[in-house]
Amino acid sequence: MDFHPTSTIITIISFIALYLALNKWAFGPLFGVMEKRRQLILEQMNTAESSRKQAEESLQEQKAALDQARKEAYGILEQARSTSSKQAEEIVQTAKNEADRLKDAALKDIESEKNKAIAALRTEVGGISVKIASKIIEKQVDEKSQEQLVDQYLKEVGSK
Amino acid sequence: MHLFPIVEWNGLKFDLSAIFAILVSCVITFVVARLAVRNLSVENPSKMQNFMEWVAEFMHSTIASSMPVHKVRPYLALGMTLIMFIFISNLLGLPLLVVTDIHEPMEWLGITADYLNSHGGAAHMAWWKSPTADLSVTAGLALVVFVLVHYLGLKLNRKHYLHHYLHPYPVFLPVNIIETFAKPLTLALRLYANIYAGEVLISTILKIGYFGIPFMIAWQGFSIFVGAIQAFLFTVLTMVYISQATVHDDHEQVEHKH
Repeated sequence: MDFHPTSTIITIISFIALYLALNKWAFGPLFGVMEKRRQLILEQMNTAESSRKQAEESLQEQKAALDQARKEAYGILEQARSTSSKQAEEIVQTAKNEADRLKDAALKDIESEKNKAIAALRTEVGGISVKIASKIIEKQVDEKSQEQLVDQYLKEVGSK
Repeated sequence: MHLFPIVEWNGLKFDLSAIFAILVSCVITFVVARLAVRNLSVENPSKMQNFMEWVAEFMHSTIASSMPVHKVRPYLALGMTLIMFIFISNLLGLPLLVVTDIHEPMEWLGITADYLNSHGGAAHMAWWKSPTADLSVTAGLALVVFVLVHYLGLKLNRKHYLHHYLHPYPVFLPVNIIETFAKPLTLALRLYANIYAGEVLISTILKIGYFGIPFMIAWQGFSIFVGAIQAFLFTVLTMVYISQATVHDDHEQVEHKH
């Protein structure tokens, strides 16, 4: 095997020509397409990322809105509860007052009825005394029978 | 052994089989690459395009193993051209051998009457071989790499590139110069020797005749493997050399490997 410098030179020339040709017509377009795809994927990833962020944001918003609504509902419930308990208290108070008033009125009635009864008794006792006196006068009775009579009348009064 | 057709023209000798092989290799490489990128598509790549993109990705990661990843891009096309051209060249000599028997003296091919007389009146002329099985071809490739490495070193990294000749001490200058020339020499010789040895063994097995068929199958398969390995090695070493010459933080360099 001899060494032929001509082959070397031809190799160099053809290799450089091959490199230039491949670079221009094969690898250039190939790398371009690969770069384009890289960009496309990058873009899609960015889009996915931003839409994910958007979704997260809206989820957060909805969560906040839900929380707000829950808080409001709780407030309303609380208010209703306090209102109703106040009302109940009021009703109870009113009822108590009414009952007190009725009781007072009843007591007053009883008092006045009692007084009336006592007054009536007093007049009756007076009348009876007069009657006794007249009966004593009517009948000449001894002391013993008088005493019996008084007791009898007193008993009569007590039983009334 | 076979003779190779050598033409003398204006005092220069041209090895027709080598020239023919180089041109065929170039054409096949170009056609393969061109077919692969025929219908390029961003969203719906064809199988060939996928294959070519795989080659590009593979080359990219290979180069990235020898230099920082952001510097890979300018050498990607070079690496792909090298690996494809050398791989196709390595395979070119495997499947067939075109031999013509020449019985008449043909002075323009370098066949003289004396040669015919000494070889029993017939010369076996081999018209077909792997271009990389010729030292003058691999030397051409290595020379391209050699010039490129030192040009890039001077252009991109002049201070560190020149300083590396005196590394670690100025006394080492001769050693570094020897290393500088040993690199392309080993590059050329390694490729040539591997492929040439493969072809020699193929022609040796051919002499056994029909008994050689199983050996031939095994050796052809192995030669494909060797061809791939050598193409890969040549490319990787080229990238390592470029990286050594152009990237100046030497501490993270990939070791020079054979």
